[in-house]
Amino acid sequence: MFGKWKRLSGSPADIHIIAPVSGVVIPLSELSDPTFAQGILGKGVAIRPDEGRVIAPADGTVELVMETGHAVSMTTEDGVELLIHIGLDTVRLCGKHYRVCCESGSWVTRGQTLVEFDPEAIRADGCDPITPVLVCNAGEYAAIRMAPEGGIHAGEPLFLLRKI
Amino acid sequence: MKTVFYTITDALGLHARPAGMLVKEASQFKSNIKLIGPAKEVDAKRIMGVMSMGVKKGDAIRLTIEGEDEAAAAEKLEQFLKENL
Repeated sequence: MFGKWKRLSGSPADIHIIAPVSGVVIPLSELSDPTFAQGILGKGVAIRPDEGRVIAPADGTVELVMETGHAVSMTTEDGVELLIHIGLDTVRLCGKHYRVCCESGSWVTRGQTLVEFDPEAIRADGCDPITPVLVCNAGEYAAIRMAPEGGIHAGEPLFLLRKI
Repeated sequence: MKTVFYTITDALGLHARPAGMLVKEASQFKSNIKLIGPAKEVDAKRIMGVMSMGVKKGDAIRLTIEGEDEAAAAEKLEQFLKENL
């Protein structure tokens, strides 16, 4: 874990965001959904989950957790606007296979469980549980370093943001 | 200032994909564009604001558009809402 932080880290003023779910990091450009692949919603990566728990990637306020549980947006205490979208086109599952564990407007601490879900059941229902994790206000940072492609555990470094 | 009124007809509401597309459309214009829903008012050019409105089917929303290209923006955004939401 500390080796990865070292690879990502720069100045002490940089903002650290941890991986909200364990799995495999892949580039957004490989996703079939153009909204994510073209970066319309923000910059980031996708994680192909190998477990069904999403944790808060930083301390902050939950802006909105969809009643269906398939997406969570939050603003971290440092002002980073994050979107975690659990699965592609999963809005159509209408909450099936998801359990919401946080409330819109509430303060959450890093590592706290936000949503639980069942990746296998989501797959069986014809959706891809791959989870884009995005910085929606990426333009407000001078640079964003991202974890390399490959395996990652929830809690390990995912993004490092350099302030302008 | 121009105002566009619209009632959401999409069963899924203003979820991530249409929110992203709306912000992309709005960002093409110089005008200040606000999105006003039942619960709050947000900058239509900011993803987080638009998504966090939690707008659902049947909700009445309005856009207020103010600036040099407000007429073109109102026309384009009204068309976008009709086609996508």
